[in-house]
Amino acid sequence: MIQLDRVVRARFEGRLFQVPSRVMSAPTILYPGLDWKRIDLPATLVRLGYRESDGSGAIPVGYFSWGERKVRLHRRPFDHPSRAEPSRDVVLQLEGTNIEELRDAETGRELGALLLEPELVGAYYGADHEQRELVRLGDVPPHLIDAILAVEDQRFLKHRGIDFRRIAGALWVNLRSGRVRQGGSTLTQQLVKNFFLTPERSLQRKLQEAAMALIVEARYEKEAILESYLNEIYLGQRGSTAIHGVGEASWFYFGKAVQRISLSESALIAAIIQSPNGLSPHREVERATERRDLALRLMREQGRITEAQLEEASAEPVRVAKVTPEPRDARFFLDALRRQLPAFYSLETLTSEGLRIYATLDLRLQRLAASVLREELAALEKRYPSLVSKSGPPLEGCVIALRPQTGEVLALVGGRDYAVSQFDRCTQTRRPAGSVFKPFVYIAALEPVPGGPRITLASMLDDSPLEVSTPSGLWRPANYDKTFHGRVRTREALERSLNVATARLAQQVGISHVVDVAARLGIESPLPRVPSLALGSADISPLELARAYATIANGGIRPQIRTFEDVVDGSGRAVERQPIGFERVLDAGTAYLATSLLEGVIDRGTGAGVRGGGIRGPIAGKTGTSDQERDAWFVGFSPELVVVVWIGFDEPRSLGLPSSRVAVPVWTRFVREATGGELRGTFLRPAEVVEAEIDPLSGDLALAGCPRRAPEIFIRGTEPVTTCPEWASAGREPRRPGERRPNFLERLFQDWLNRL
Amino acid sequence: MKRGGKRIAGFVLLWSFLGGCTSLGGRFAPLGAPPFSLSDVAEEGDAARRASVRLVLTGLDEDQALHPARALALYERALQVDPNNPFAYLALARHHVDGADPEQALAFLDKADALLADSEVRSPGLEADLLGIRGSALQASGRVRSALPLLEEARRLSPSVWDDARLDARELR
Repeated sequence: MIQLDRVVRARFEGRLFQVPSRVMSAPTILYPGLDWKRIDLPATLVRLGYRESDGSGAIPVGYFSWGERKVRLHRRPFDHPSRAEPSRDVVLQLEGTNIEELRDAETGRELGALLLEPELVGAYYGADHEQRELVRLGDVPPHLIDAILAVEDQRFLKHRGIDFRRIAGALWVNLRSGRVRQGGSTLTQQLVKNFFLTPERSLQRKLQEAAMALIVEARYEKEAILESYLNEIYLGQRGSTAIHGVGEASWFYFGKAVQRISLSESALIAAIIQSPNGLSPHREVERATERRDLALRLMREQGRITEAQLEEASAEPVRVAKVTPEPRDARFFLDALRRQLPAFYSLETLTSEGLRIYATLDLRLQRLAASVLREELAALEKRYPSLVSKSGPPLEGCVIALRPQTGEVLALVGGRDYAVSQFDRCTQTRRPAGSVFKPFVYIAALEPVPGGPRITLASMLDDSPLEVSTPSGLWRPANYDKTFHGRVRTREALERSLNVATARLAQQVGISHVVDVAARLGIESPLPRVPSLALGSADISPLELARAYATIANGGIRPQIRTFEDVVDGSGRAVERQPIGFERVLDAGTAYLATSLLEGVIDRGTGAGVRGGGIRGPIAGKTGTSDQERDAWFVGFSPELVVVVWIGFDEPRSLGLPSSRVAVPVWTRFVREATGGELRGTFLRPAEVVEAEIDPLSGDLALAGCPRRAPEIFIRGTEPVTTCPEWASAGREPRRPGERRPNFLERLFQDWLNRL
Repeated sequence: MKRGGKRIAGFVLLWSFLGGCTSLGGRFAPLGAPPFSLSDVAEEGDAARRASVRLVLTGLDEDQALHPARALALYERALQVDPNNPFAYLALARHHVDGADPEQALAFLDKADALLADSEVRSPGLEADLLGIRGSALQASGRVRSALPLLEEARRLSPSVWDDARLDARELR
């Protein structure tokens, strides 16, 4: 008995429940002008547990009705670490696929924006894979307590842990029927059994259960026991996750907090305790309804409800929220988030303390990224059978989407199937960067240094044979097409991803400066100071590459990578916050020149497949294929989105294909489906960047009379000073295109000044 | 110089002086320009920008009501809707000056400044706010010598707002 007492006390006076921490997505924001189809609003509402109403009369909280041009939505109240949102009944006026207007249904007031609750991204489960939302006894509606007591233990408040009268009754029923039809366990016994004992049916276990029930009742108040029971009781299954407690069950079955469930819904919860899966209202509506009606009749017989309540509740059809399977596509993100949390948040803490982590994830993009990667890898294997791995791990990939201004990770998929391999290729691996590294060389050369930048976008680079002495011998870079291209313009060299011109440029700039630029932009991996670094021989991770390109997209301001906003503890107190943070690491002019170069890669260069894939709007990007085509990269960005795709094998071997045929299609499909193919925004040109016309062959200024001309951009004051060869040979006085001849007054004034 | 030549020279001098004033981009803007108010531009831009500005306005209300965490979250939501909304960065910069994080304030201000370059809403009142926030941030980070001229210029441009050398959330709203 002393031993049993010690066991009971250890549990009741320690942590009663292991509550997995949940990760929530960024909230969906509705506003006039938003394309509701693109965010798949109906599916989002269903995933959030909203139920569709027939549209007649008032819409209860948690319901919506979808009309031809009008949606009425009664948003639930929800807590957020920064701001609690009250319930709100709103009307969305639709025009085609756009939300035209958003109004408060009660006041008629126009609303600027409406936040929907964050969606569940996933949870950090312990070995038992149980999920529960802890509730306090005071939060549980009395009719739910009455329903449970009526069905499970009507003399709960009277007995001392064991109900001998009920045992005798059950014995009599079982003897008469010749089989076990009724149990005699009290709530306390059920609780003890779940907490301490195995499901084994033996006399010894039954005696142990009885003894422990007596100890629990002797030591603790009825209220504490009941509260524990309400949080412990098993009430169903969502996939591999066990639903425990009435708090979790209310969300699971009715899509609302336990405080808000009706009498009929309370009776349903009480009714299914006996067999949550056999009586599941999701699958066995008829049986669940019968059993609910029985629970209601028991409540009436025991005087817990009136006849009118019985009639009204029995007349209510059983309606449950759709089962929304817990997202499986975000497992890589959950792992990455866990690694970004401070060390204090150990796995043990995360699996037991019921934290709520508000993530930056856009669940729609995450799902899309996962499915696109999975399907496109399969399509590549089908198209190129050599990519099918006969032995060893299959073709793998990674997709990351970031918001460049804030560094928020919107989607992160580290492999084609988390169930098969949990290794995250976005954050846990470093692979040779190939040509996606080249922009760092050009930025190092374009960046203003004392005495002016080394090159401009119009400078001519030398793409002729190059030999560099290294400790391991002579290094002779070659181009992908195995030829040399002589004098090429800077812009053309990057658009065509010319290796030799880039390697020579890196030699002129200095590898150390290239390393410095890459590190400033966000590359944290150690970079070897070797000549081949210019061509991407260094191993880097897709996430750091995403950050470096986000810095370019963000006009030279490097964002901190952010996977979560807030962490809230079990009592709702905010305990951790990851604010937006950034730092200027590159001047805006150089960042804009780099962006312009990378726009050229998309419009005319190796990334042209993106436009062919139907994507419109501002895009800049770079393809990358590492040595022997072992890694295929594509990084592309718009003013509001950076997406990195990597494809390769975990045990590196040649893909036999360039990235334009491997990574670009994955990127293109993801971005097209994520944005509808139309990218928003513009790359803002800083005031210090000016445009001038140049002679594309020489890179010189194209003055009036030069036969060839093309627009080019420069940081003010770095425009070419020499003119095209035709001008030089004609010996004319250079005048820039558009330069106007001084008028009479100006010439007169100038003349007067000259004479002073 | 003959009489006609003097007239022409005088005219040319006046003309070039006025032209010079214009080319200095508002350095000689009228004193006491109307203060910039975010509410005035709430209906400008595309749908995302308008929704984003409204979130910023709500954030400014929260800042004014001394709920800085709520305000911060709303500014972040505003960026979620429109990551290139300069006013969200401006509000963040102001918020971080108040929150004694001048380096972050300067970073946000840089971003706002870059996004507002060549913008039609860049009025003397807004110019005063950009200068003043920068001055306040520099002052808070101990760079008083750099801060004072900026604060003085902000006060000169918009005395009703910058007389006390700070910008309330209410004033930006």
